[in-house]
Amino acid sequence: MSALDPRREDESPKWGPRESMRLLNHEFVRVDAVDKVTGRARYTHDVRLPGMLFAKFLGCPIAHAEVKVDVTAAKALPGVVEVRVVREGEIRFLGQPVAVVAAKTREAADDALRAIKLEITPLPFAVTHAQSLAANAPKVGRNGNTSKVNEDGDGAQVAEAFKRCERVVEATYEVPIQHHACLETHGVVVDVPTADSGTVFHSTQATYGSANEFKGPLKVKQVEVVNEYMGGGFGAKFEAGVEGRVACELARELQAPIHLMLSRRDEFLIAGNRSGCVQTLKLGGSKDGKLLALEASVDKLGGLGGGSHGGFPFHYEVETSHSSTRSVYTNLDSNRAMRAPGHPQAAFGMESIVDELAYALGIDLLEIRKRNAESDVHRRQLDRVAREIGWFEHAHKNAPDLSDATRKVGIGFGLSDWGAGGGPACKVTVEISSDGSVRASVGSQDLGTGVRTYVAAIVAEELGLPLAGVTARVGRTSYGAANASGGSTTTGSLAPAVKDAAFNARRAFAAALAKTLKSDANDLSFDTEGVLDAKSKRRLSWRDACATLGPTGVSATGEWKEGLSSNVIHGAQAARVEVDTRTGEIKVLKMVCMQDCGLPLNRTAVRSQINGGMVQALSYALFEERVIEPDLGIAMNANFEDYKLAASKEMPEMVAIIDDEDTRGVIGIAEATIVPGHAAIANAIHNACGVRLRTMPLTPDKLLMGLAALKPLKPLKKD
Amino acid sequence: MKTFELARPSTLAQAFGELELDAAKRDRVKLIAGGQDLVTEMKEHLVEPSKLVDLKRLPGLDRIEVLPDGSLTIGCLVTVAALAEHAEVQHFFTALAEAARSVGSAQIRSQGTVGGNLNQRPRCWYYRNEHAPCLKKGGTECYSYAGLNKYNAILGGGPSYIVHPSDLATALVAFDAEVTLASAKGERKMALDKFFTLPSEGDVTRETVLAPGEILTHVRVPAKRGWTSTYLKFKERGSYDFALAAVAVAVRFEGAGSQTVKEARLVLGGVAPKPWNVPKAAEALVGRNGLETWTAAGNRAVAGAELLAHNAYKVPLVKGLVVKALESISKA
Repeated sequence: MSALDPRREDESPKWGPRESMRLLNHEFVRVDAVDKVTGRARYTHDVRLPGMLFAKFLGCPIAHAEVKVDVTAAKALPGVVEVRVVREGEIRFLGQPVAVVAAKTREAADDALRAIKLEITPLPFAVTHAQSLAANAPKVGRNGNTSKVNEDGDGAQVAEAFKRCERVVEATYEVPIQHHACLETHGVVVDVPTADSGTVFHSTQATYGSANEFKGPLKVKQVEVVNEYMGGGFGAKFEAGVEGRVACELARELQAPIHLMLSRRDEFLIAGNRSGCVQTLKLGGSKDGKLLALEASVDKLGGLGGGSHGGFPFHYEVETSHSSTRSVYTNLDSNRAMRAPGHPQAAFGMESIVDELAYALGIDLLEIRKRNAESDVHRRQLDRVAREIGWFEHAHKNAPDLSDATRKVGIGFGLSDWGAGGGPACKVTVEISSDGSVRASVGSQDLGTGVRTYVAAIVAEELGLPLAGVTARVGRTSYGAANASGGSTTTGSLAPAVKDAAFNARRAFAAALAKTLKSDANDLSFDTEGVLDAKSKRRLSWRDACATLGPTGVSATGEWKEGLSSNVIHGAQAARVEVDTRTGEIKVLKMVCMQDCGLPLNRTAVRSQINGGMVQALSYALFEERVIEPDLGIAMNANFEDYKLAASKEMPEMVAIIDDEDTRGVIGIAEATIVPGHAAIANAIHNACGVRLRTMPLTPDKLLMGLAALKPLKPLKKD
Repeated sequence: MKTFELARPSTLAQAFGELELDAAKRDRVKLIAGGQDLVTEMKEHLVEPSKLVDLKRLPGLDRIEVLPDGSLTIGCLVTVAALAEHAEVQHFFTALAEAARSVGSAQIRSQGTVGGNLNQRPRCWYYRNEHAPCLKKGGTECYSYAGLNKYNAILGGGPSYIVHPSDLATALVAFDAEVTLASAKGERKMALDKFFTLPSEGDVTRETVLAPGEILTHVRVPAKRGWTSTYLKFKERGSYDFALAAVAVAVRFEGAGSQTVKEARLVLGGVAPKPWNVPKAAEALVGRNGLETWTAAGNRAVAGAELLAHNAYKVPLVKGLVVKALESISKA
């Protein structure tokens, strides 16, 4: 902090009234949009260092095997510098890297991978829920194929409560494993370390955390992690990973920079996943739609990992509830955090069963939610999204359309909440130079949420400058301490620190200026016209004011301060879906999401987050599913042809509503927005045509078979 | 990728000279035009040719000619995009233009050719996976039969259950198209319908009768003046996908303004190892029109379906598509 800092004890940074803001709470384009679109932005994949070698993994092609690796032939190929074993012996999950190559070109690296000879002895495996739980299942987990059961609530009390219910519904819902599908795969470019320090370019959502992980394999005391632009993380990019460790070892031992970015196939198989689940739910309610009893049994499917699942009852108040949750292990890579871990899975079950109970009771689908939602914020948001989606004009509020029409429209709802928040973690520097330039530096990475832009905007707002008047630098450990981007805490942790740094820089500038102008720093104010001395009425342009500064300018640092951020957010979503009963086509016509988030720093970016949440949920609803061949134990869709993601033609009309009744400080929004969209779509499908799809993804084949079951056809079965 | 020699002949005669005539070695030499299928096969190591013969320099094969009698001759190097955008094709062979427009993405349509589209290999995810040594790749088992067969055949399957992926083929068969297969020995012409084979009929590792040394040079489509047609493709994902099922229908009404069908063709795509021509379904349309007739045609279209564990939905899907397709051209 500047020695000239004149901060008075009673003054601290505040966001101030929203109506007086020039930039914050307004809509503006990302400062790096053009760089990203034109390819000028340098992502980890793009880094090229002199003498760099391209490294690639060879993964085990089956789910469980004893593997021996022979690298002799591969090593002899032209352009190949190194081929080594990563792991031999028992391979416990599909795709686990067994060897790595480093070569002068990517093509030579590919050829070397083909030349590695694997001696594979297949072992019995389990890649599905049923296989893992079968009586004769092979042992998958170190301590068996299931974890201990986690109990919550009083089962006996729930059993008793069911007796008092007017209606009870029970169903099993299945959610497949989803992939993060980051456009930029995981990976690093590692420079050759010096005696005590190293530099790693890393596509990470934890620049600061991963620096520590690289120290060991690089055998250095200090590591600079660089991640100025990244192509998505969604929760999968917290760790250095096997790719980070191996690349560091190669760089150190071969004394050559190493480029090790996962192939798309590896990305699908070894870089984490959103766990799937099988959940059996039983829900009972009173005649007037009050939820009285919930019994939930959940099997989480996170490969060798534990999986995640949101706690029941999920966003609804149920008088009494009991849940038992366990992990069921399979020979697949461990799940990792993914955008609101566990919540979309729980939302699918809970929102579906609430809908099923509403129909059983003959109660309006909106009313049952408003009656039981745990928060008044949800109630007001439900009303708004219902209006936007056309609910009040909709004909089928408590029964599906069972007419003979071939195109039918339905509406569905879902709720979300998220803790978010923030705390002391970031150290931010703001520098004002005598040439009038302003630079803000933060160690935090821009996961894609628009960090670089709001850092510049907060500083510009404070100093009375246009957005372009501030350059924001992000994603380098040397720029300052930063937290990992997890749990939607980046904004809540970083934005207050940026505000504090900007505030301190302004105060330091005012103090320096006051000395030169022989006025009182407290009389100096900064606005779009420059600096005004309230007492002398003297005005200086920004440039002239900065010119009075010495060659070092002024700089100030900032840290998180109480009162600038808040936590706990809510959202409600609605989907309008059209189904074609002749083809099973499911067309999402419109999605609406209303979300609170405290102070929106950049309304365009907040809306983008909301839209992105809806898009990812739509894609999850209709397409996404990791498919592993159950008999062969091989990956069927570890590519973007067969692992289908929603694309341009699937995009509905999207309405993203920022809940401006929320007047709190800043809160991260990313995760909450993905939680209920797919559940709303499933509910809309049922509302449209009476088919309840309980297994995701919600595909035309399932809908057609569901429609056939409603109106039985001749039996069509082989064997 | 395995290193290969690239031959770039400028005449057909030179091209024939580059080809491998020994049936056992024929895959060592592959023809390439747009490369939209072949290159993906090479990247996945499904084929590893030692020589590619680039057809793109052969003169005259990139043209669509409309003859005075209204028939079409389409060179094998015509791009899918050019076919989709051709005014006469759109007007007189609507189903063909629609099929072309439904292929892949704009990039694939701009690069991919008619010859390549008709000769493309199956998309079955077992076939495309080098870790599944399936029947199509010379193995002993069609894994889809008892496996994950949601995308596989309900008609004409066995011993392999692939579905033919070509959209153009389905539409062209509906227009009674004929292909010219040229070789050093001369030319042979055959109905496109006969160009494709079922796995039970011939070499299970191939989908056509194209012999070693042959190049598919032209597709000829007889005049269909007075016909109305449509190609209706249903994809699991609207953006960039292959068909779960498709139907090409072409009908000639009894006269201007008449809604009574005089002649009809009905061909299914995405449900069988070759374009599934169902004349019996087409016959059901003759002499009448309307929902009942369309439904009857749909029922006949799937007659004899053999359903696997996960593809029974294709039966109602085909029926629905047949009705929708006929409804759309009858209203037009």
